[in-house]
Amino acid sequence: MSVKSTTVNTVLGPVPADELGVVSVHEALLSVFPGAEHAFDIALDRAEIFETLAAKLRDFRAHGGGTIVDGTGMFHGRDVRLYEALSRTTGVHIVASTGQGPEELLGGYFLTPQTNPPTPWPAEKFADLFTREITEGMVVPRVERRGPAGLVTTAVTRAGMTATDESLLRGAARAALATGTALSFRYGADAAGELDVVLDEKLPADRVAVGGLDRKDAVAAGVPEKIAGRGARVVLDHVGAEDDAHLTDAERAALVAGLVRAGHTDRILLSVGATGVAKGHPANDLPYSHVLTAFVPLLRAHGVGDGEVRRMLEANPRDLLAVR
Amino acid sequence: MSRVNTVLGPIPAEELGFVAIHEHIGYGMPGSELDTRWWKTPEQRYEETVPKLRRFHELGGGAFVDATGICNGRDVDHYKSLSAKTGVHIVACTGFVGGDTALPHFARADVDYLTRQFVHEITVGIGGTGSLAGVIKVGVSRGGRMTDLDKRIYRAAARAALATGVPILTHLAIDAENAVAIFDEEGLPLDRVLFGHVDDGVNADKTRDVWIAEQGGRIGFDTFGYETELPDPPFWARPRQERLDHFLRFVDGGRRIRQVLASADANCSPLGWPGVKGHTVNYLFDQLVPDLRAAGLDEAAIRTIFVTNPAEFLTLQK
Repeated sequence: MSVKSTTVNTVLGPVPADELGVVSVHEALLSVFPGAEHAFDIALDRAEIFETLAAKLRDFRAHGGGTIVDGTGMFHGRDVRLYEALSRTTGVHIVASTGQGPEELLGGYFLTPQTNPPTPWPAEKFADLFTREITEGMVVPRVERRGPAGLVTTAVTRAGMTATDESLLRGAARAALATGTALSFRYGADAAGELDVVLDEKLPADRVAVGGLDRKDAVAAGVPEKIAGRGARVVLDHVGAEDDAHLTDAERAALVAGLVRAGHTDRILLSVGATGVAKGHPANDLPYSHVLTAFVPLLRAHGVGDGEVRRMLEANPRDLLAVR
Repeated sequence: MSRVNTVLGPIPAEELGFVAIHEHIGYGMPGSELDTRWWKTPEQRYEETVPKLRRFHELGGGAFVDATGICNGRDVDHYKSLSAKTGVHIVACTGFVGGDTALPHFARADVDYLTRQFVHEITVGIGGTGSLAGVIKVGVSRGGRMTDLDKRIYRAAARAALATGVPILTHLAIDAENAVAIFDEEGLPLDRVLFGHVDDGVNADKTRDVWIAEQGGRIGFDTFGYETELPDPPFWARPRQERLDHFLRFVDGGRRIRQVLASADANCSPLGWPGVKGHTVNYLFDQLVPDLRAAGLDEAAIRTIFVTNPAEFLTLQK
């Protein structure tokens, strides 16, 4: 156990960091595209959602998983009370996140407020909103606050960082710095430039996880090595994806093996980016256990040792999530 | 048969009485629910709302049209309990205040999907409430021009209005040429559309109220009471006399009285903003009706504005 690591904020309260076990850092439990909760053709049956998620969490646990991080933030279907019940029932630790983004997924409250002119929210206001989800607890909208968030998360627009994306990134970085919580963001068009924005806020690089780095365009440009070289965490969060945008698992395993050989083992995080239950957008139905059941054997075949695998799946996320 | 959808079920239009045509129980921009600075306990919400509605009823108010769009904190179960306990008929809306208040699920949707959303809320129900929407809300996003999304929403609203017979309420009547063109293309008679907020302090100068009336539209002077005389007026406030003069000029000695509706656009208990202290729906009784009488309108004219016109407008046209 690292001397720095203390506790991690899970939905059931602080848990000693060395009890997390195998962690999947970029997953979704209930993922609701903003607005879909009001759609006439979408049903949200909580009992059914619970049953589906509980089965997926039990499968994860059965294959050696210990902790799921719901990285969808505060405005994409997060349901803290449901997650508390799921964690109690399945024994899987659940870390929920605060934050939101990119700009397109925000509500009008943040983009066209009732002021003249309607100036979008600046970084400082996002920082305050996200910080209070950690110091005072995560919101159940207009009802109550629950326990503190365990991660600050945001995302940058795929076509390139907008002014509001930058406010979100800076606000998220400030919230992370103020609370000792880590920041995770899904990069847009320029991971290194976006990381610069975060580092400009004085957040230490090892408190930052950059997601989406197993996209083909990122890998072709050598971005994972660059991000690792700057000391930030490289999140390969589409393990198992079979689409045009991302590496295949074989290519991903080769990428990991290369990063390990280059001495970046401590920087690597792996995740499926699964959506346990998706509403209003296409699901990624892979099991949370896919890294353990399918990808770890591929890593071994590429010569990655058990020690390295354990660091990537247990030690690295533990160091990231432990509150400093 | 005359029929108006209220949150407690359809009622005959003859039962509406005095109507506040464009109001809010509580309005908040989408996402404001995440910001605890605006949160209120249920006790506080009822405490702020019930006395206003009860007083509205005692002063002769019959019906309250809530123009809070789909993503703005519309809360039909709350409206149902308020209506049942105060005796005020409450009409809820489907639709959106403007494209900039439609969350991404709807912002990405096409006209057909938006139409089906509106028709479902008018004919099957809003969410799981069983209540049917009685009007469709549309509007112009901040910035003064209709966005592509605003236009999709207007077109979908026109189709849903034709399919179901409910009318359309607009938030702002600027850029009306685009709105009228869409309604014309869809074949919706313009007397099924109330072009609202023509009296808004920011946009009144840019709003072609007479032109819209000449095309056959109904005209909403429906931000009465947001006036610079208030202790802390909002940016869309306007001097009381200036608004009243505008209204009287438009009515033109009764020539256009059949096309005009009036309301206060007040929040009983605002959801995502501070609201405007001292401004309630009861401005209609406390200030506006006496002002209209003082300006020479007789009881028949007042009845036309607040009873006859709204009843005609709200009645399902099938």
